Amino acid sequence: MTDSEEELGLLETLDHLLDRGVVIAGEAVVSIGDVDLLYLGLNIVLANVDAIIRTSQPKQIK
Amino acid sequence: MKHVVIGAHLEEGDIEPLAGAIPVADLWLSGMPIDDAQPLGDRELLLRIAQTRAALLDRATFIAIRYGFTAHGQSDAAAKCAAHIERWGRLLREYRGMVEMTLKVAAASPRARPDRHDFESGAAYIRALHAATRAAEVVPEFRSAVDATLAPLAVRHRWSTRDTASLEFAALVRRESVAALNDAGSALKRDFASVPFLLSGPWPLEVFADDHE
Repeated sequence: MTDSEEELGLLETLDHLLDRGVVIAGEAVVSIGDVDLLYLGLNIVLANVDAIIRTSQPKQIK
Repeated sequence: MKHVVIGAHLEEGDIEPLAGAIPVADLWLSGMPIDDAQPLGDRELLLRIAQTRAALLDRATFIAIRYGFTAHGQSDAAAKCAAHIERWGRLLREYRGMVEMTLKVAAASPRARPDRHDFESGAAYIRALHAATRAAEVVPEFRSAVDATLAPLAVRHRWSTRDTASLEFAALVRRESVAALNDAGSALKRDFASVPFLLSGPWPLEVFADDHE
C-alpha cells in the first residue's frame, strides 16, 4: 500500500468515525486542550453541512 | 472516569476484551475508558478508537455511535440511550451478519459553494449550502453501472449527497458478499478509469442505523 493510499484510508476511517452513525442528542463535545472545539447543543459533533441538515431542524441551528 | 461510547451491540461477547462493555437494557454498549479530564479531540485517542471500532466489527455487526458521546457508568448510559434501545435491538437482530460498504464519487459538475457574506442569517446560509449539495450529480453512465453491478449485491442501498462535490452510494450487505462487492468495484475502476471514486468498508451500521433516514 502506498503512503497516499494509507493516508486516504485513514481519512476515510476518521470521516466515518466523526460523521456517521447514530447521534445521541446533546452529548456531542469535541475538545482540544481545555477548549471545547464544537458544541452545538444539538445532535452534531464534527459534521458536514449535509449531516447537520439530516440530524437537526434548520430552526435549531445557531 | 468515563467511557467514550463506540457502538451498540447485541452480545457482551461481541465486545470484551476489545473494549469495555456497558449493559443497557438487553443490549450492550462498547466504550473506551478515559479520564474525565482527557480531551476528546486528542489524536491518539481518535486513532485508538478507530482501531478498536474496526476490531469490534470483525467480531460482529454493531450500530456505530458517532464519536463524541460519553457515558459515566451504566445508569448514565441507560438514561441517555433509553429512547433508542428498542429500535437498536430491532435493527441489530434484523441486520446481524451484515455490514455497510460505501462508494464515494466525485460530482460530474461540482457546484460553487455559497458565500456566507451573501446571506443575512446563518440558517439561510446553511439551507443554501444544503441546496448546493443536493444539486451535485454523478456521471449518469457511472451511476447506472453502480446500480447494475453493486446494488444487486446489497440487501439495501441508497444514494445520498455528501457535499457540493461528491455523492455517496451506501450499501448494506451480508458479510459473505463483501468480496463480490469489492470485485465489482475493481471492475468499475477498469471501466470508468476517468471517474474518481473510493469504495470502502466494511463499516458498522451507520447510514442504515440513522434515526433520520
